[in-house]
Amino acid sequence: MLAEIGLIATALSLIAALYAIGASIYGERRDLEGWVISGRNAALFTAALLLIATTALTIALMNQQYQIRYIWSVSSPNMTDLYRFTALWGSQAGSLLFWTFLMAAFAAGAILTNWRSNRQLMPYATAVMMSVTVFFIALVLFLENPFERYWIVGSEVVTSALIPAGAMAPDTSRLAETANGLNPLLHHFGMAIHPPTLYIGFVGFVIPFAFAVASLAVGDFTTSWIKASRRWTLVAWLFLSLGLLLGGRWAYDVLGWGGYWGWDPVENAALLPWLVGTALIHSSIIQEKRGMLKTWNLFLVVLTFSAVIFGTFATRSGLVDSVHSFARSGVGLPMFLFWFSLTLLSVGLILWRRGRGELRDEHRIRNYLSRESLFVLNNFVFLALFAAVFWGSFGAPIVSEMFMDTQITLGEEYFLRVTPPLFVALFLLMGIAPLSAWSATSARRLGRAVLVPLLMTAVFLLVFVLLGMSSIGALVGYGIVSLSGMVVLYETYRAAAARRRSAGENWLAAFANITRRNPRRYGGYLVHLGITVMGIGMLGSTIFQFETQRTMSVGETIQVQDYQLRYDALLEGQVALDGRLMDIAEVTVLRDGQELAHLRPRRDFFPETAGLNTMTISGSHSNMERDFYVLLVGWEDIAAQSATFKIFINPLVNWIWLGGLILVLGTFVSVWPRGGARVRQSTRVERAAVAPA
Amino acid sequence: MSKYGFLKSWIGALVLLALLLTVSAVLAQDAPPEPPADPASEVTADQVNAVASQLYCPVCENITLDTCGVAACEDWRAEIRMYIGMGMTDEEIIDDFVVRFGDRVVGTPQNPALRALSLVTPWILVALALGFTVYTLIRWRSSRDELSSKPAAAVAGAAAAPPDDDYRSRLERDLARDTEDE
Repeated sequence: MLAEIGLIATALSLIAALYAIGASIYGERRDLEGWVISGRNAALFTAALLLIATTALTIALMNQQYQIRYIWSVSSPNMTDLYRFTALWGSQAGSLLFWTFLMAAFAAGAILTNWRSNRQLMPYATAVMMSVTVFFIALVLFLENPFERYWIVGSEVVTSALIPAGAMAPDTSRLAETANGLNPLLHHFGMAIHPPTLYIGFVGFVIPFAFAVASLAVGDFTTSWIKASRRWTLVAWLFLSLGLLLGGRWAYDVLGWGGYWGWDPVENAALLPWLVGTALIHSSIIQEKRGMLKTWNLFLVVLTFSAVIFGTFATRSGLVDSVHSFARSGVGLPMFLFWFSLTLLSVGLILWRRGRGELRDEHRIRNYLSRESLFVLNNFVFLALFAAVFWGSFGAPIVSEMFMDTQITLGEEYFLRVTPPLFVALFLLMGIAPLSAWSATSARRLGRAVLVPLLMTAVFLLVFVLLGMSSIGALVGYGIVSLSGMVVLYETYRAAAARRRSAGENWLAAFANITRRNPRRYGGYLVHLGITVMGIGMLGSTIFQFETQRTMSVGETIQVQDYQLRYDALLEGQVALDGRLMDIAEVTVLRDGQELAHLRPRRDFFPETAGLNTMTISGSHSNMERDFYVLLVGWEDIAAQSATFKIFINPLVNWIWLGGLILVLGTFVSVWPRGGARVRQSTRVERAAVAPA
Repeated sequence: MSKYGFLKSWIGALVLLALLLTVSAVLAQDAPPEPPADPASEVTADQVNAVASQLYCPVCENITLDTCGVAACEDWRAEIRMYIGMGMTDEEIIDDFVVRFGDRVVGTPQNPALRALSLVTPWILVALALGFTVYTLIRWRSSRDELSSKPAAAVAGAAAAPPDDDYRSRLERDLARDTEDE
């Protein structure tokens, strides 16, 4: 029954979305309000129908309806409810349905919140959002249907979404016995959060894309599309950032190689829209404030969404080998064609409007050190990073295979050669640009403004030197990264101090009020601070990571830098509730003879799962200074007298997660609407304070 | 047999034994020494991992050889251990893997043409992008004609006076006034 409900709801959603496209465009072109509203309602109905379909699949998963092939392939009777729920996005068909639902839900949210304020753009924006949704619904219905069921026809077992003639339902208890179970790598709490956040980040960019295309369609070349979609862009960017961070944390905990970022093609596929999306967030500010970069911003929004679709295509088609390519299927070609045509049409539309002279900027850059100039340079660096990462992940492997008949892999070695100079430029710009004024800034004024943050950076580096750091390269790196954080701290302090003096407030109130008065600015500063903190963590954990592999006997203690590690015992063949077999090593971390932590690194084995069915779970002792991170690599089966461990000391790695939290907080502040009456009141106070005597 | 016949045979046997012992002692001196311990056993796991981390598993997907858990990779790590024990350098071992499995087992291809293609192309792209950016900035800077002279309606949507400038100038005034007060 649930399969029928899901199938019918998905089929109806396709009809509703197609109707929404037709009614919106027809109504807008013929100026028939009724049709436009009907199109809007159909778009909202599409989201509701996809919600029903997704809910039906989720309930079927929770109720273990193994006749549904998808459920048989991603779950088993031993699984806990949490992983049964997360199995919704555990493989291709379910995750595509979930992806499509999220996209329709975002579209519905954008329609509801912008209908009145951006009435002119809404019909076309609705049509664009529904066009993308239609493509994904079609994939779900015709290529990756999660509601297909097993049937017995005669003596054969067949799969079909509809009931074949003369078919009988198979014995569900037999299906339950043979159910495949979830990919072991997905048996982690991070998997309950990482995919949905990443999907939200991906699908969220459909909103700025739709508004941009709508503005091109109706010929509205003001900042309407940017204003309409600014918060949606930031929300998408926030979730994409969060998805990348959680993915890193998941890799750190589960993949068993002691790191958080492997420059894997699919990781990079998610990084690409983040890079262009970040460039877009910066350059759209220039258009809002100065009426400049109109063509460039439209190009960036198209490139961002194009990167989203490309990333989805790369992940789901197995375009390039990756640990993530567990969801391969026949969706590759349609997705490639969709990505290609969407990009071509959108760029064509921009060029057509530009060719007609309709995208002229309203101001010119007057000064090379003005904030808009530095933002343009910032955009250049983001795009250069995009090009370098795209080339390394997809360009070079595809070109060499297609034209030189050779398979190559560009790994960490390539990325650590190419990207560091660009990251240096990015951090320097992140430090200097906030000090520059719009329109014009003199070198002298900029130099004066950067002086105090530079001194603060020097003091910060002195602390590192006093703590024993002697590597000149590392100190230069920390200096460049921390400068941007110091600029943020100093600028915020200056503003709060001015506020405190003019309005007679205490420090806390002054900070709160400057943030409430200009959440975009101070939210942005917090994001910069978060990225600085993350940068410090990335530098520390990359440059100073220590790694060793040792074989130890039970009771033996070894020295690892300042720590001692004692191997206490091995518990073999422990059975977990979900049926996995765990081999757990018990080790103790000591420092100066004092016990710091008892760790239990382990190897999990999933006997029910075919293919990749082991997982290496680390044990780690964490603090802000470093992680002592232990992996169980192997052991002697006879009486487990010796075991082999890989031990990592990852300095400052937890700064990455802390920086991520600050980044999330900062984005929330940026998205938060300005306060109402209280802000107006505080503005009056400020006006009074700055009024000439 | 004479009464000395028994004695003679004993003396003969003793001489023969002495000869045998002498020969065996000489032979023992010339025998090769005990075979040395397996050189691979002297190689540490860290040495193996240092090489394996520069290689990608030939059968898996984007996983370096030092972290790959499949049985074939354990064999390849044992092979690396053996090569190190035989005195081969890291480069020689990596080259051997490239010859056997192709350029996909290294993070950057060894083939000169592919290596150049991989490493130079991004910088060409960066140089082109930089050139475009600089050209754009110079072009904008050289045409100083502000379009703000157009009718106000033509520039609708763009903020004529950036609020941040107001804010910054007010902030600067506040700071200046505070300094004067002090």
